[in-house]
Amino acid sequence: MDEYIKKLLQAAKEAGITAAEVYLASRDSFRAMCQQGVINNYTVSSTRGLSLRGLWRGKMGYAATEAFDGESVGQLVSGVIESASLSEDDSVQEIYPGDKNVPEVDNYAPDLDKITPEEKLDYIRRAEKAVLACDKRIAAATYNMISTGSASVRIVNSYGMDLKMRDNFFVSYINALARDEGRSASESAISVGRVFDPAEAERTAREAAEKTLFMLSAAPVESGTYRAIFDPYAMSDMLGTFSGIFSSENAQQNMSLLAGREGETIAAPCVTLVDDPLLKGGFESRGFDDEGVACRTLNVVENGVLKTLLYNLKTARKAGCASTGSARKASYAAPVRVAPSNFFFKPGEKDLQGLMEDMGEGLVITEVGGLHAGANPMSGDFSLIAEGYTVKGGKKDKPVEQITVAGNFYDLLKSIRAVGSDLTFPGSGIGSPSVDVGEIRVSGK
Amino acid sequence: MLTQETASAVLSAALRTGGDFAEIFLEDRRNNVLSMRSGKVETVNSTRLHGAGVRIYSGLSSVYVFTNDTSEKGLLDCAARAAAAISGPDKHEAAAFAASQCPNIHIIKEMPSLVESRRKAEKLKAADAVLKMYPEVVQGIISYSDSEQRVWIANSEGLFKNDLRVYTRFMVNAVASNGTENQTGSASPGAMQGFELFDRQVDVEMCAHTAARTAVRMLHAPLCPSGMMPVVIDNGFGGVIFHEACGHSLEATSVAPGNSEFSGKLGQKIASDKVTAIDDGTLPNEWGSENIDDEGVPPTRLVLIENGVLKNYMVDRLNSRKMGMPVTGSGRRQGYMYAPTSRMRNTYIAAGEDSDSEMIATMGDGLYCRKMGGGSVDPSTGKFNFSVQEGYLVKDGRIVHPVRGASLIGRGSEILMKIDRVGRNMQMAQGMCGSLSGSVPTNVGQPMIRVSSLTVGGAK
Repeated sequence: MDEYIKKLLQAAKEAGITAAEVYLASRDSFRAMCQQGVINNYTVSSTRGLSLRGLWRGKMGYAATEAFDGESVGQLVSGVIESASLSEDDSVQEIYPGDKNVPEVDNYAPDLDKITPEEKLDYIRRAEKAVLACDKRIAAATYNMISTGSASVRIVNSYGMDLKMRDNFFVSYINALARDEGRSASESAISVGRVFDPAEAERTAREAAEKTLFMLSAAPVESGTYRAIFDPYAMSDMLGTFSGIFSSENAQQNMSLLAGREGETIAAPCVTLVDDPLLKGGFESRGFDDEGVACRTLNVVENGVLKTLLYNLKTARKAGCASTGSARKASYAAPVRVAPSNFFFKPGEKDLQGLMEDMGEGLVITEVGGLHAGANPMSGDFSLIAEGYTVKGGKKDKPVEQITVAGNFYDLLKSIRAVGSDLTFPGSGIGSPSVDVGEIRVSGK
Repeated sequence: MLTQETASAVLSAALRTGGDFAEIFLEDRRNNVLSMRSGKVETVNSTRLHGAGVRIYSGLSSVYVFTNDTSEKGLLDCAARAAAAISGPDKHEAAAFAASQCPNIHIIKEMPSLVESRRKAEKLKAADAVLKMYPEVVQGIISYSDSEQRVWIANSEGLFKNDLRVYTRFMVNAVASNGTENQTGSASPGAMQGFELFDRQVDVEMCAHTAARTAVRMLHAPLCPSGMMPVVIDNGFGGVIFHEACGHSLEATSVAPGNSEFSGKLGQKIASDKVTAIDDGTLPNEWGSENIDDEGVPPTRLVLIENGVLKNYMVDRLNSRKMGMPVTGSGRRQGYMYAPTSRMRNTYIAAGEDSDSEMIATMGDGLYCRKMGGGSVDPSTGKFNFSVQEGYLVKDGRIVHPVRGASLIGRGSEILMKIDRVGRNMQMAQGMCGSLSGSVPTNVGQPMIRVSSLTVGGAK
């Protein structure tokens, strides 16, 4: 690949591209599912993609490829020039010369790559058996999957930058379906990390089965306003859906209502939101961002006050500040945007049980769905299908389903009464503890 | 590209360990996206996707391995990795390739790759000029995208086919704001066509008006009340209700393992008499159409439900083995990074005989959904949820005023039985449908329909 990259940067230079960057992403992955004892969706891959970004007559152009044949160098260079020549983006853009010190972040667990396919298949076979053995009402494991993979990113540019990072992961997911007297319910459990623990097969199976059986008797509650706690799963989904409001790019484009509000109180005093790319073992831990800028830990919201938005080089220049190391591409081929890394509510004192006791009566929401449809990241409005349980006298009471919870995320941040201690990252860099959100509107019976 | 010689060598290598079926899928795809924000062309991005995948079956087990290395060595290596995961009792041989030309039923007049990018950019500018006419529209995201996907598919049953799929789409998202609140509206037409899409079918200025009007209207709309009520859903993208609430549950992916609420119900009544639903891959130049599916099977017009009775499922090759039913040309995938599975194509509720005005006039108090947003469903339980992009409150059979923030929730099997009116004017709209085999273009569609009662989740 070194030879190809060298050739590409040389061709870009000769074509009049004054500064250029090559972004190379490689990935190896394994995935398999098991249903009724039969292995299916067994998928193995090794892929790589490369994008070329460069300045031509002061404008930034992009092109990308997965083919590395003779044609591709020319296609990339002319693609960048055409892209730049049509761009009307007036903001000053740059290819980054590089930082002196880039934090070392190690996300690679060598042992994980030594697990054999047979061990992985055994894991999902055991998981299915375990979930079915939990209770005769469990009809099937409708989704029973294991996946492992490793990925690497390399950024090389015409200023001599050559940064590399690599990462690997393990994830298993099981969804149980229960049927009983014409009723059905389906819930899941997930295991994610960089350590392969065979016992997780049985543990996640039990968790999925227990959740499913509990939900079998679920019913809607009466419509009305309820006191509510969002558990870490539901709250992480909410934070993930609305994380774009903290992007300076959205703010500068009138797409976030947080534009121009740095320094203002936007949340309850108990709320501190952290973006920590240096978090040890985090899903999105990284030493540098997708423009090669060194990463650092940020308090985005501190005790309710908005301290900073997230910036990349372009938006920082426009705002007259420094990049926060938050440049992000959705894939190797995507344009540079802004996104958080490991982004979470800083945990508080009490666990979920403690928050429930303080609340007394109300709801715990464990799942929100339909986020891509029922949540509007621009207005902050949401109306989401939800599940959970009622809380009576500070204790878990009855399962609840087929309700919607509705409100506005900006209002919700202000109405938070307490943040729990049980910080969890359900499967991405977005995490949360249980959060007491005060009151919420519920539509049910 | 893939030659018969290479394909033959790869398939033989794939069957070495006792697999009873092998397939190779090779893709070379060029995607172009131009997008505009705040009145400026911001992103112009060309991407060349390139790779191949080898699939092997042994009985009901399947293995898929994919790579970007499409050299003969790369493909043979790919086949060897797939074969290593298979151990079948008997050795099978690949059949010789039958001469099979696939007829092109989707004629492309103006190949996107031959159209100068400036002409594409002009479309963005024309739409933007319209958005500027609406003072409350503070932001417009407008994009043009085209894609030329070349595929080669060969399998051990002697199939060797190639196809070119060309897609063009235009999207406008308008954001209206009053300073403290934002509302959005959108329009996103597309087709299996080239740049001729803009000759007659798509007027970019109309798209911009549509998006802007929805956003502005919703900005001034009060919150939607919640509760159970009759709901009228308009044609076009309203069909997303059928897509999400029923269509996914009729895909073999959920039917074969018995996870769908419609498993084992062929020939049974699952919907009201008024409902006939079709999944059609043969419509010329439609967004969800095909010449062959991603397993090389020719397209079909499939009656899913006829006068309320379940007639057919959508079946891909692997699930056809599991179910003992023929394939229906429904094996689709986003690209080489996915093994194909059963997916919808152009899926719609067929036109009925009811009058649009009558169904609103006789609904009493309820919700009229002019335009639906997106949604999702759990196929095992049929529980669905979707948002209403543009809704109106109906009181005593009259449309009173727009309402915002509404969502519809329920179960697929219930809603199908509760459809008590089906209008005459069927229209389709375009979407990208995400599932196991990635994101594929699908049309949703229906005439105006009425559901006698549905849970409306409102913010009030």
